[in-house]
Amino acid sequence: MTSTFSTLSTALSALQYNSAALAVAGGNIANVSTAGYARRTINAESVAQSGMPAMWSRSVSNGDGVKVGSVQRMVDPLLDAQARRQHASQAYLDVQQSSLQRVETGFNEPGASGVAAAIADFRTSWHDLANNPGSDAARSEVLGKAATLASAIGTQAANITTESGDQRTRILNDVSEVNSVATELASTNKAINAASLNGSDTGTLLDTRDQLALRLSELTGATATTRADGEFDVTLNGVSLVDGASAGTLQIASGITSTGASDGNVISYAITDSSRTTAVPAGMTGEIGGVTDLLTTTLPAYSSGLDAVAQQLADEINTQHEAGYDANGNAGTAFFSYDPTDPAATLAVAITSTSALAASGIPGGGLDAANATAMAGSTTVEASYQQLINGFGTHVDAVNRATTSQQTLTTQVDTSRTALSGVSTDEELTSMLTSQRSYQAASRVMTTVDSMLDTLINHTGLVA
Amino acid sequence: MALQRVTDSMMVQSSLAAMQGNLAQLAATQQQLTSGRKLNVPSDNPTDTTSAMRLRSSIADQTQYSRNAEDGDAWLGQADTALTSANDQLLRAQDLALQGANQGSASQTSLDALASEVDQIKAGMIDAANTTYLGRPVFGGVTAGVKAYDASGAYVGTPGTVDRTIAPGTTLRVDTDGQAAFGPTGDSVFDHLTALSTALRAGDSTGITAGIAALKTDQNRISAAQTDVGTRQNRIEAADQTAQDKLLSLQTSLTSVENVDLPKTIMNLQMQQTAYQASLAATSRVMQQSLLDYLR
Repeated sequence: MTSTFSTLSTALSALQYNSAALAVAGGNIANVSTAGYARRTINAESVAQSGMPAMWSRSVSNGDGVKVGSVQRMVDPLLDAQARRQHASQAYLDVQQSSLQRVETGFNEPGASGVAAAIADFRTSWHDLANNPGSDAARSEVLGKAATLASAIGTQAANITTESGDQRTRILNDVSEVNSVATELASTNKAINAASLNGSDTGTLLDTRDQLALRLSELTGATATTRADGEFDVTLNGVSLVDGASAGTLQIASGITSTGASDGNVISYAITDSSRTTAVPAGMTGEIGGVTDLLTTTLPAYSSGLDAVAQQLADEINTQHEAGYDANGNAGTAFFSYDPTDPAATLAVAITSTSALAASGIPGGGLDAANATAMAGSTTVEASYQQLINGFGTHVDAVNRATTSQQTLTTQVDTSRTALSGVSTDEELTSMLTSQRSYQAASRVMTTVDSMLDTLINHTGLVA
Repeated sequence: MALQRVTDSMMVQSSLAAMQGNLAQLAATQQQLTSGRKLNVPSDNPTDTTSAMRLRSSIADQTQYSRNAEDGDAWLGQADTALTSANDQLLRAQDLALQGANQGSASQTSLDALASEVDQIKAGMIDAANTTYLGRPVFGGVTAGVKAYDASGAYVGTPGTVDRTIAPGTTLRVDTDGQAAFGPTGDSVFDHLTALSTALRAGDSTGITAGIAALKTDQNRISAAQTDVGTRQNRIEAADQTAQDKLLSLQTSLTSVENVDLPKTIMNLQMQQTAYQASLAATSRVMQQSLLDYLR
């Protein structure tokens, strides 16, 4: 036998469940554009009889209504891990691409204002001097073009230095961001632990946790492992950065000073936790990994290539210039000067007076121009420079291509994530309608029971 | 792709990505069209960049070779004019010497007249030998002075060659050795004219006859020098022409490597524009749709 009033309580459970379902739909709609929000779904559970059936204790109930089984956060941990990995690779390439494109634009190659054009102009000016060795104008032109060439090479060297400086500052900023994100993740972990112990809803905390872990991966390529209660442990190339509720500190072990200058060593990192400092093995990805590779490999390689070009130019020109004789009949002196430790940045014209240009191939004045002709053909630095530019261009091209194909992968995994976790307003509207109708129907059940009871109580025994 | 949930943010993201992609392509094409160049940075095409740099370097070289050749041509032209004038004057001197030789019994007055004309011719020939181009005597070697011969006809130039680079590794001499054209000091055409003048004044018929023979040799030397100058002038003009032809073909190559193919790029722009408009239209239609439109 079921009790008369039990149907009322069944209807009440339906009212309660549908209010909850409406609240979940409302929450989803409210967060339709919230970054990192994973949609929730509510699972209904029918309420069965209580206890185990036994010979003398049996229930004849047909079910006691409905209750909220669980509110589920729609995520796939595997997809999240993939997303972290792809975003790390994406950030690694993106940061390199934007820096390399900046450096490359500064070359002005191929064009009328780059180093190649300056070399051609310099050579042309020697031809003009060979045609007119007595002319002061032609001599000044040679000095002018030489100064242009030296400053064109110097500008490129300065561009690389500036870019390296900017990127070192970026690492400093990134490292401090890593530390603040890691601290935040540790405190989120603590909150998740507390919430899961007292049975509160951890959904919002888990959203935050995923967002923070994704940012850590973008910055460093860190990997996360999940604990049973939902806390994230984060390791960086095998070294623990976040361990439950405690976060280590990422530090620059060598390579960059606290002011963003270079200390001349290879850039390396270490993580300090409460007990000790552990060096992070090389090979990070993410933004920091990208910038580190840029500063360790790509930019120094170009810089030393440019140094070699500057040195070759100066040496070849100097040798030929010293073989000639100047306007006063004296043997030629070194044409370019440079500091052997940093040739490209310090390349300068050593000759100051037009009469000191060694155009003549024979000692003792005169208007012989044999050496000027030889000067015009004395350097093979153009080929070296072309090779350098070609090598750099090829590298940038490769990074561009890698970035584009990585973008496809990243977009794909992001799409899969939004497909699973994103809120669809149409879907939420539909479930709203369902809740609304169910609520109405349950109310009607109550009204019906009420009217049945009314008949029983007020009209029993009365004959109209 | 397998069937999947399509969510609002997915639609927003993919629409944005599509529009961004279309816009990026449009921007790239626009940059090509406005700059007229398809090679803007080395990574656009590293191989073509190297070609472009080589071509630009060669263009600078060929332009210079052409300039060198034109300058050299002017030098040789001056030398040619000077030698023609010297040759004409020398013929006149030979005529005068023959007159002097035939007038064995003529009066000393007429011989003196011949002698003074020979002196004039000598002065005229020294002027021709001092012909300059841009302030430099074309027969004076590498002298820093403005004269190859002084007033007495003595060589004051500095032996040496003036060369012009007319092709990679090829130089051509553009001056003319005064002592080769006019004879070495002591045995030069000027010395011979002085001797002839002296012989005429002295009525020395043997001296006059010797002078005629010497002038003949001088004339041969000048003619030989003139031929040499003419040959070199031909060569330098040919080199100039070659440099200009190369310049043209190099510039054509550079244009094809560096510059955009206008009709093709404009076609691309049209296509990308259409694609962009289509993505805008599709986005505006799809994003407006919602279940809310149909619920009361």
